[in-house]
Amino acid sequence: MLLFDIVFNGNDTMYAEAVEAVNAAIAQYGEDMAVGFPDTAYTLACFYAETGNKITTLREAKEALTYIKSQMLRERRLDSGFKSGVATALAAELIEAMKYLNGAKPYEEPYLGHMSDAQIRELGVPLVTGDIPGIPVIIGPAPTVEEACALVKSYQSQGNFVCLVGGIIEQLKEAGYKTGFNVRVYPIGENISSVAHAVSAACRTAMIFGNIKPGDKAALQEYTFNRFRAVVNAFAPLDEKTVACGAGAIYYGFPVITNDMDYTPSVPKSLIKQPNIEEFNATSIEARDIRIKITNIDIPVAFASAFEGEIIRRKDMRVEFDGSRVDCAELVHTCEMSEIEDHRITVIGPEVDDMPDGSKNSIAYVVKVAGRNMQPDFEPVIERKFHNYINCIEGVYHTGQRDMQRIRISHDAFNAGFRLKHIGEVLYSQVKNEFDAVVDKCEVVIYTDPAECTRIRHEVAIPIFNKRDDRLATLTDESVDVYYSCILCQAFSPSHVCVVTPERLGLCGAVSWLDAKATNELDPEGPCQIITKERVIDENLGSYEDVDEAVQKYSRGALEHVTLYSIMQDPMTSCGCFECICGIEPFSNGVVIANREYAGMTPLGMTFPEMASMTGGGVQTPGFMGHGKHFIGSKKFMKAEGGIERIVWMPKELKEFVAERLNKTAFELYGIENFTDMIGDETVAQDPETLVAFLTEKGHPALGMEPMM
Amino acid sequence: MPFNQKPQKFNAKINTVTIGTGDKTVTLGGNSTFPFYTFDAPTVNTPKVGVEISDLGLEALPEGAKAYYEGCTTMADIAKKAAAMEGADFVALVLEGGDPNGEDKPVEDLIAVVKEVADAVDCPLVVEGCKNVEKDSTLLAKVAEALQGRNVVVMSEKEENYKAVGAAAGLAYNQIVGAESAVDINLAKQLNVVTTQLGINAQNIVMNVGTACAGYGYEYVVSTMDRIKGAALGQNDNMLQMPIITPVASETWGVKEASASEADMPEWGPQDERGIDMEVMTAAADLASGSDAVILRHPQSVAAVSKMIKALA
Repeated sequence: MLLFDIVFNGNDTMYAEAVEAVNAAIAQYGEDMAVGFPDTAYTLACFYAETGNKITTLREAKEALTYIKSQMLRERRLDSGFKSGVATALAAELIEAMKYLNGAKPYEEPYLGHMSDAQIRELGVPLVTGDIPGIPVIIGPAPTVEEACALVKSYQSQGNFVCLVGGIIEQLKEAGYKTGFNVRVYPIGENISSVAHAVSAACRTAMIFGNIKPGDKAALQEYTFNRFRAVVNAFAPLDEKTVACGAGAIYYGFPVITNDMDYTPSVPKSLIKQPNIEEFNATSIEARDIRIKITNIDIPVAFASAFEGEIIRRKDMRVEFDGSRVDCAELVHTCEMSEIEDHRITVIGPEVDDMPDGSKNSIAYVVKVAGRNMQPDFEPVIERKFHNYINCIEGVYHTGQRDMQRIRISHDAFNAGFRLKHIGEVLYSQVKNEFDAVVDKCEVVIYTDPAECTRIRHEVAIPIFNKRDDRLATLTDESVDVYYSCILCQAFSPSHVCVVTPERLGLCGAVSWLDAKATNELDPEGPCQIITKERVIDENLGSYEDVDEAVQKYSRGALEHVTLYSIMQDPMTSCGCFECICGIEPFSNGVVIANREYAGMTPLGMTFPEMASMTGGGVQTPGFMGHGKHFIGSKKFMKAEGGIERIVWMPKELKEFVAERLNKTAFELYGIENFTDMIGDETVAQDPETLVAFLTEKGHPALGMEPMM
Repeated sequence: MPFNQKPQKFNAKINTVTIGTGDKTVTLGGNSTFPFYTFDAPTVNTPKVGVEISDLGLEALPEGAKAYYEGCTTMADIAKKAAAMEGADFVALVLEGGDPNGEDKPVEDLIAVVKEVADAVDCPLVVEGCKNVEKDSTLLAKVAEALQGRNVVVMSEKEENYKAVGAAAGLAYNQIVGAESAVDINLAKQLNVVTTQLGINAQNIVMNVGTACAGYGYEYVVSTMDRIKGAALGQNDNMLQMPIITPVASETWGVKEASASEADMPEWGPQDERGIDMEVMTAAADLASGSDAVILRHPQSVAAVSKMIKALA
């Protein structure tokens, strides 16, 4: 039979039962009898949410049947299937309402039936905060009592609010499993129609917490789909009524997972077949995109930022791992969802117990992550946090990164029971918590077997590091579609906005384009926002209408125009955290650059602090500009004025720091070899006359260029 | 040349938020001018003054304020007396006793205080948390529940606990959410954005954008409030158009000018007077910078500031 026909048949049966129940009630009490569930202002919440009409009397209940019938379309189309599913839920709600007539209390422990508004409000807050990550609704008896208990337990231990319908309730009772609203295991009722109470909870949550107007069908569906993380688990054998209810569930965005392999065809992402009950939890969590909040980390020592600065001395150390002596590595690796088992932590090789006291060992840990929004570009951003995570463990110390990390575990931590797998626990929980916007699943593999560490380091990690470095080196402003704003510093420099591009990192030197991109993905309302670059004004200056609009917006009108590549026309502003300042030197047609660490005099007759006073605070001073050290070697460095050829002076220390990249860029752009040798420094000149003499002697190209002003 | 006055007109205004129920409500915001710029347009709603009381009772109060509350033995007495203060528009209850680093009172005890205060007065109420974000998550959710129907402001919704506090106050129990940030326009805006993303109506949010005591890095406060009002009115930024409530007393009574005794600092003059001066100066500056309400402790400060508002607005 086609899935459509099953849904239609189930819908017909449920509807017929509803008609029968309403007619019987009218026969008994008359049409004026009041209808409603106890302790709720949303009378017949599902019907009210769908249609905007309350059902308060049996007369209205009868009229509601007419509406429900009108929704029971019978063309074999998706829309008819969904409408029939919703109609099934509404019919079920009427059946349930008939049970509550005349103040009756139809449900007795363990069955709980209808939830009060107070309970919905109590549920709503943890639903919003994610403390209740999801609402699994389990229907029917599990194959065995043990499997029933295990499945409920697995959801419960993740903090989910579990609703139960049908045979599974008896199974839990038989096993003596504790149920109730307070323990987040809520047995609703014996019959499938009682599932209406779960739908009612979803509808009332939408009306109370989502401000959804009763009757606004589209808004209701959008709310339940996006915010009410329910998922249905229905055990074999399925019947038509359950499948019809399932169609309603799917309409509201709740996937159905079943172990009935034959009765219906499966529907990708919506009706999922899973023969293995043990896998129900994982399948459901993934299908509904439920994010489990990790509240406590399962390790035998404390984890707090207070321990970040703790140093483990050699005599206090049980073992150490040292990437500078033996093969080590730390790595975040993006995988497919199917390749990862969430929260699996594996140690391959000896545990600390098997390592001699005070010994130096190999370690390599690979944190495998997967997620719909995960991108390999985020790997280094996550990796950089490892240092901080591992350092926060009491009695564990970490320095370095990539394949050069060093870890020490103290005697105290070891004696308290700390083992390598706990490093995995820490990495797992921190990555999942802090990067929940991009990481859906996470698994940690820790290698201590020396041969494996060598393999991971040389065959896995280093090639990935190289690939990343290559990517960074090849990222150009032209190769990306968007730039990012950064207003992290506006707290003290209110009108400054950084425009971060691949070739021009933030002037503080701390925010690269990839960092800004990751910040934006992880915190969409945060300091880094996307700036499009579609409307070019002048390619050479690096001016765009989009960029101008963005700086106007984020500086709240203080800035109107900013160019990316000019220091003379609308140069980018500075907050005051610049690593370097570049300023025009008129005698040579060039610029001098001073870095923050340089304490001496520059040929401009100004020291760094004097230059800084003209440049910071979000003001535009043509001829002066703050920037990061890495920008100096960029092909975009004051490109509008001719580029790095203009650099005539830098402090020696800075010159050495940037020499390699700068020489390379100069060679690529102008064919000049060892360009830095032509650039003056404080050992050559601290005044313009001596500088020009030096530049003339070296044949510096700036001397022959057009004056900048 | 004759002076030709040109009113500065904005096509935007601060949201109007009404606190309390029944006859005794106060309404904040609604204005479309900079603070006290009555020459540009008449003031729609004048700034309001709240009286701060604490669950810890009267002990920490300055002498003059203690004298005012003389004879009060219960929180209900204190609340009534606070509501009756000359110039008071609302009562602000601070649950500082809940702080885990202080008295660490259990949530149930604090809720009992909240109920006692709420039952004693019918004026609009503002409730502030204990300054600990974790405790506040549970405490303020319970406060919102306990005061259902009173339309109170639940202050101290912060970046760290906005979901718990915001959802409880703004969604589950229909109170007004007081979004608190630390003297930074972007953080203030970001908190408003994420709060509204929870589904909370922007019209049900007020801001506490942070303050300092005058003389203690106060320029940041002026600049932040100034820019918020500028963005709200000049740029019609509807994520910054929430009225601002500024708790002044908690900042000013702790500084040395207010806390040093006359015995230690005879040249500074009477201690109570200095405290009142600091409180009045800071409140006046907050109001001039853009606060739509201030929360004060001393009866003389309340009288002075409300008099100032009457004279200016």
